[in-house]
Amino acid sequence: MAEDTTSNDQTLIDQLRDPSTCRKAFGQVIAIYTEPLYWQIRRMVDNHDDANDLLQNTFLKAWTSIENFRGDAKLSTWLHKIAINESLSFLERERKRQNVSLDDEESHLIQVIEADTNIDGDQLKLKLRKAVATLPEKQRLVFNMKYYDDMKYEEISDILGTSVGALKASYHLAVKKIEQYFEDND
Amino acid sequence: MKHEDILKTVNRQSGMTVPDGFFEDFAVRMAASLPEQKWETPQNELPRSLWNKVRPYMYMAAMFLGVWCMMKMFDLMRPSNSDLSIENNAILSEAVSNDDFMNDYCLTDIENSDLLEDLYSEGFTPTALSMLDN
Repeated sequence: MAEDTTSNDQTLIDQLRDPSTCRKAFGQVIAIYTEPLYWQIRRMVDNHDDANDLLQNTFLKAWTSIENFRGDAKLSTWLHKIAINESLSFLERERKRQNVSLDDEESHLIQVIEADTNIDGDQLKLKLRKAVATLPEKQRLVFNMKYYDDMKYEEISDILGTSVGALKASYHLAVKKIEQYFEDND
Repeated sequence: MKHEDILKTVNRQSGMTVPDGFFEDFAVRMAASLPEQKWETPQNELPRSLWNKVRPYMYMAAMFLGVWCMMKMFDLMRPSNSDLSIENNAILSEAVSNDDFMNDYCLTDIENSDLLEDLYSEGFTPTALSMLDN
């Protein structure tokens, strides 16, 4: 399965490098990566409309800089990096726009979660989202990638540029904080 | 409930939803809205004409011709190298063989003693000099 993904990726990369097949191949990239990238972004910004806009920006940036993609990194790693940068830049812009400090971001995100209408109504899941919102940005990213996306630490390390050891520690700490949140909000 | 139980219960589902058909619609919309890139339109390369092919060689030949002309011009500007050897020049040979001419015009480093010797040999006396002064 992993080999299939790698060979598919390589085929796509080869097609992306050829100007005559690039557009069609990028259409396939969009079809494959729309869902994982959407969830990656949505879990960071906690709002469907914002996630939709940021996903569009992600693909646009990838498309306009496709010439710079040399194929050294995996296609998924490259796209996830762009998506994460877009999400973090958006959160930074929102903080500045609404004059919210990093310390107050937690309560701001919880407000966003409570206002979100695209939810399945499960209170436990909602509570977990609120608990995750209390984590610092980087820890939240690591938790989302490890817990929700079930990514390997090595893969996360490639995307975030952090060592595997630091990621394990960060995830462990995030889980502890979530546990504490549940204890405090029982 | 322990945190591990909570994370297992939630079962990696965030509880967030998307409107029906969102992902399919998004992929189609996104692919259709990708802007045109410069490199997508193939550049029509004109066939190389004969002039285009020989042009670099012509430029190089012109450069060498220019250098040759310049050297020729410097050569022409140099004073003519006419034959000044004494053996092949009748006027010079005659002048050199004429002792009077050589003594008068060419041999400038004559010692006073030589002059006096000549004068004495011609009958000159110092008293004649004092007579001249008077």
